[in-house]
Amino acid sequence: MQADGVIVTYAIGGAVGAIFHLEPMDTVDLDVFVALRNLEAGPLISLASVYEYLTARGYKAEKEYIVVEGWPVQFLPPDSPLAQEALDSAIDTTVAGVKTRVMTAEHLVALALRLGRAKDFARILQFIEAEVLDTDKLNQILERHGLLEKWRQFSDRFLTNK
Amino acid sequence: MTDWSLRVAESKQAMRKHLTSLPFGQKLALLERLRERRVAIASSPLRRQPSSGRASDKPQPVG
Repeated sequence: MQADGVIVTYAIGGAVGAIFHLEPMDTVDLDVFVALRNLEAGPLISLASVYEYLTARGYKAEKEYIVVEGWPVQFLPPDSPLAQEALDSAIDTTVAGVKTRVMTAEHLVALALRLGRAKDFARILQFIEAEVLDTDKLNQILERHGLLEKWRQFSDRFLTNK
Repeated sequence: MTDWSLRVAESKQAMRKHLTSLPFGQKLALLERLRERRVAIASSPLRRQPSSGRASDKPQPVG
C-alpha cells in the first residue's frame, strides 16, 4: 500500500504492537495506524481508499475490519497529535524477511493512558513490570501531550502501596 | 508465601522474561497458536455457556 501510494506510512499499535516489547498475549485483532495521502478529504473518506485497495486484491471487509491472512485488521488514521507522533517515531523491524514498523513502548503506554480503559491500564502495568520503558522518554511524551495529570492519577491508583 | 509458591512465582517471572526477549516473528508465531487455542476452547462442547449477560461471564480480549 505504501509503495502504491495509498498510504504515506504506517505503524503497528495496539496489543500486537505491545507484543513487540512484551511477552505474547492473546488478542483478537491487529491495529494498524496509517498516515493517509488525501487527508483533506477527511479520515473516513481517506480510509475508503485503503479498504478499496485491499478488497480489490481479494481481502474481505467485515464491519470495520479487513481480514488479512486470517487476521482482522483495523486501519486507524491518527486521531491526535500523540497518535501522529507515535506513527512518525515508530521503530523499523523485520518479520520473516518483511520490513514493518511498530510503535515505541513509550508511545503505546501514552496512547493506552489516554484511552484509559481497564485493559489499557492492565497493559501499562505489563510494560512497567517488564521494565522495558525509558522513563525519561515516557515523561517527555506525557508532558508534551498533557498527560502528566492522568499519569499521576494512574500512579496513585495502581503504583502506590497504600 | 511458601518456598514452593515463591519458586513458582520466580519460575513464571523467568518464563515471562524469556518470552519477552524472543524475536517479534517468534512472538507472532506464538500468538497464532494462542488464537488457535482460543478458537478451540470457544467451540468446545465442554465449555459452559454463560447463563446471563453479565460482563464477568464473557472472555475479555486484550486487543
